[in-house]
Amino acid sequence: MSSPVAVAEPTAPAPAPASRTRRLRVPRPGYLAGKLLSAVISFAVTLIIGFALFNLMPSDPVRTMTRGRPVSEAQLAQLRVQLGLDQPVWRRFLTYVNDTLHGNLGYSWEFKQSVGSLILERVGPTLLLMGTAFAVSVLLGLWLGMRSGWRAGSLFDKVTSATALTLWSVPTFWLGMLLLVLFSVGIGPIHGFLPTAGMSDPTLPQSGLRHYEDVARHLVLPALTMVLVVYAQYVTIMRSSIIEEKGAPYLLTARAKGLRDDVVRRRHALPNALLPSVTMIFLHLGGLISGAVTVEAIFSWPGLGDLTYQALTVPDLPVLQGTFVVFSASVIIMNLLADLVYRFLDPRVRAQ
Amino acid sequence: MVLRDRRRLRTKLTAAGVSGLLIAGPVALATAAGAQAAPAGSGSTLRVAMDSSGVDTLNPFLSYYNGSFDIFGAIYPSLTEIDENGVAKPYLASSWKLSADRLTWTFTIRSGLKWSDGTPITASDAAWTLNLIMHNKIAATANGALVSNFSSVTAPDATTLVVRTKKPQSNLTYVSIPISGIPIVPQHVWQSHVADLKDYKNDSYPIVGYGPWKLTDYKTDQYAKLDANPTFFQGAPKYDHLIEQIYKESDAAVAALKAGQLDYIGGVNATQFASLQHAQGVTTAQAAGNGWTAVEVNPGARSRSGKPIGTGNKALTDGRVRRAINEAIDKKTLLAKVADGQGQVAEGYIPPAWQQWSWKPSAGQEQNYDPAAANKLLDEAGYKKGPGGIRIDPKTHKPLSFRLGIHSDSSTDPAIATYLVGWLKEIGIKLTIQPMSMTALNSDLGKGDWDMLMDSWTSGPDPSSLLSIQTCGTLPDDNGEGGNTDAFFCDPRYDKLFAEQSTVFDPAQRAKVVGQMQSILYDADVDDLLYNSTTRIAASSKVTGLVTGQARNGFYPAQTTFWSYLKAAPAVRSGSSSGGGHTLVWVIVTALLMVLAGGGGYAAGLRRGGVDDRE
Repeated sequence: MSSPVAVAEPTAPAPAPASRTRRLRVPRPGYLAGKLLSAVISFAVTLIIGFALFNLMPSDPVRTMTRGRPVSEAQLAQLRVQLGLDQPVWRRFLTYVNDTLHGNLGYSWEFKQSVGSLILERVGPTLLLMGTAFAVSVLLGLWLGMRSGWRAGSLFDKVTSATALTLWSVPTFWLGMLLLVLFSVGIGPIHGFLPTAGMSDPTLPQSGLRHYEDVARHLVLPALTMVLVVYAQYVTIMRSSIIEEKGAPYLLTARAKGLRDDVVRRRHALPNALLPSVTMIFLHLGGLISGAVTVEAIFSWPGLGDLTYQALTVPDLPVLQGTFVVFSASVIIMNLLADLVYRFLDPRVRAQ
Repeated sequence: MVLRDRRRLRTKLTAAGVSGLLIAGPVALATAAGAQAAPAGSGSTLRVAMDSSGVDTLNPFLSYYNGSFDIFGAIYPSLTEIDENGVAKPYLASSWKLSADRLTWTFTIRSGLKWSDGTPITASDAAWTLNLIMHNKIAATANGALVSNFSSVTAPDATTLVVRTKKPQSNLTYVSIPISGIPIVPQHVWQSHVADLKDYKNDSYPIVGYGPWKLTDYKTDQYAKLDANPTFFQGAPKYDHLIEQIYKESDAAVAALKAGQLDYIGGVNATQFASLQHAQGVTTAQAAGNGWTAVEVNPGARSRSGKPIGTGNKALTDGRVRRAINEAIDKKTLLAKVADGQGQVAEGYIPPAWQQWSWKPSAGQEQNYDPAAANKLLDEAGYKKGPGGIRIDPKTHKPLSFRLGIHSDSSTDPAIATYLVGWLKEIGIKLTIQPMSMTALNSDLGKGDWDMLMDSWTSGPDPSSLLSIQTCGTLPDDNGEGGNTDAFFCDPRYDKLFAEQSTVFDPAQRAKVVGQMQSILYDADVDDLLYNSTTRIAASSKVTGLVTGQARNGFYPAQTTFWSYLKAAPAVRSGSSSGGGHTLVWVIVTALLMVLAGGGGYAAGLRRGGVDDRE
């Protein structure tokens, strides 16, 4: 049988066979440089936007942070100097650019520690939650989408699509609270059995197999909430691209060879139908690190989404700028990767 | 061909790997969950929800958040504590006396107490802590204002602490109280961190301190673990362990209490309280409120030198307009509808939890809900109704149309605002609701860019802090920078009384002065106090002995000091508060979820193997 890439060839303008193997592996340096340059420019622009956005926001961090505390005028003035708020905006911008280029994300006003360490403390929990939810929703979504697209209009398709779209439209907050009440508190005679908050039980040892089991237990509800709300997008995109491929002549050829329906779908239709999903997967991959504010809040998950939200209320500008830099960098890098990987997956892109 | 086969192998491996994980997951969980039934730790554990503000830093010199203060109150001593009437009582200091010139305080420090590492606690620990705050700008970050009137602090011997003040200071015994005051730290631990105080996170556990509890662990954004101090001089806590768990969403904390995963919540809102009152296994209590909810009216924002600033509507500088607004607000209805009747209509500026400062308007001074009187007042003042029934300012010929800034994250502000719009329309005033974040609202407030704002404050046992935000000294400079004013109130009579109350040492006499100040504020119609919500507590029925305060005419909110966690006792001693008894159900459900997700991929992988052979 043919490889996924080779199958697509009939629809693509065929490149010269001699040059094919070479191009398949190594993108032209010019192409790579172009992509890199545009990534760098995007990053520079986001740096500026990030700074402008947060600094133009009407705010009074000193008053907000010290609210409810007996603070003197002198103390407030000292705090303003300490936070650098007495400096002109252009100077603060230069410091910010200089610091960021040197890998220094600044010092949190609210938490009195470096923004880098704040992010590091939360990056693990964030990726654990987001990564698990992402992996499950991609697998579930693509599989269901493939199945229902192949038999579009069947009962399975109707049920799958309707369920997915209903859950997609449900407010995350409401669904999360519902699951929390259902599985943690319990309804009627059925008692709850899943934890309500955090990512581990403080009364258990914080290492070893039991700890991992405990974390997994805490992960179930937040991850489930995320999956239920987002998997629909993979279902719909996979479903529509399978439907598109279904009428393609190369599938007729495959069937004519006497292959079973399952094999035709999996070996021939699926690889081509996957392409739009790959774009989406990479797009979402970049956004994983930014966490999920709502889910993190409901289940008190110690993630970056909630850190950003907390920082916004003060606003803790160094934290906001720092997380913004990390989040944008992640999206930009993933987009860059997507561009490069796409060349291997789709010969049409390569030929352009 | 070779290439193709390799790729297929890779795909197959990936599929097998993913399926393997998905299958192995539930199995591993099931195995581990089986072991879960074992008792968790030894001894009894009290699980409480941490204050929603959370922990900003565990460095007590830098912290501003209540979540941290609760921990400091539990693990660091203070000079004094407060009793159930809100009056200072001995803690580290067993007694104190004031010199004849009322400038020198001599505290006798209790002897025989030891820090958790065994080092004795002496007067020099207290002197060192206070001196550091007085002389080091970084150390003054959190509590500098509390020692600003100190001229010197010395420890002539291990049990004597001498504090000299620049001017007489009546609230000195409130400067170092648990939670809202200055915690005393061990000098031998902290003196090596003076140089890096700004960056010191104070996170080597167990933290060396003294108090009813010892902090053994803190996981960022998750929980704090504390162990009982069996040698605490007031008696050891009844629980062996205390866990303060972070709940970012208060509804989730309420669910956790119902589920038996949490034992105590120190503050629930009116709706949650109503639902918990009928919940099984939960006890509820209310304590007289230590705060108020109010609507501020901009009396004409100006700088300290008297220069008008901001965009406030000039009509509000007219006291008659402000009085009419105050009279048009039906506070009883707000209390009943917004706070579910849990509280009282606010009168005095100092909240009812601190009854020693309570004040009531005299006969004839009370302002009652009276829209007719409000309309009459505005008619007489020359504010004639124009198009749409909105009154016109005779001076500027502009309609009486005001902005009302509300907190966008508050659940009660929008409800109150809706009532206000309707009530003020009845007296010919138009309100436009502007929801804002707390920080945007603070920014507008400081610059004077507002007409009316929703506001709320709480107070500790000493009223100085709450009283100070109404003094002229808190106004901003001419550029609208700096300052800490609550609502641009400034009255020389009030400032004079403020200075006076800080030098009056007889509590009854001081209360009288504070009462006069409250009377001035009441008549000014700048902070229209609406109601004092009760502090609402919910706890598991398995916990007894909690300090709950009293709903009316009572004094203390629940956890203003460390009482509640100290006095709480397990009704039945048991090893673990939440059971792992439903292990089987949980294993089955998790397995089902995992299978639902991974089943397809797994099945596909299996079938693929078969097909390959057939091809």
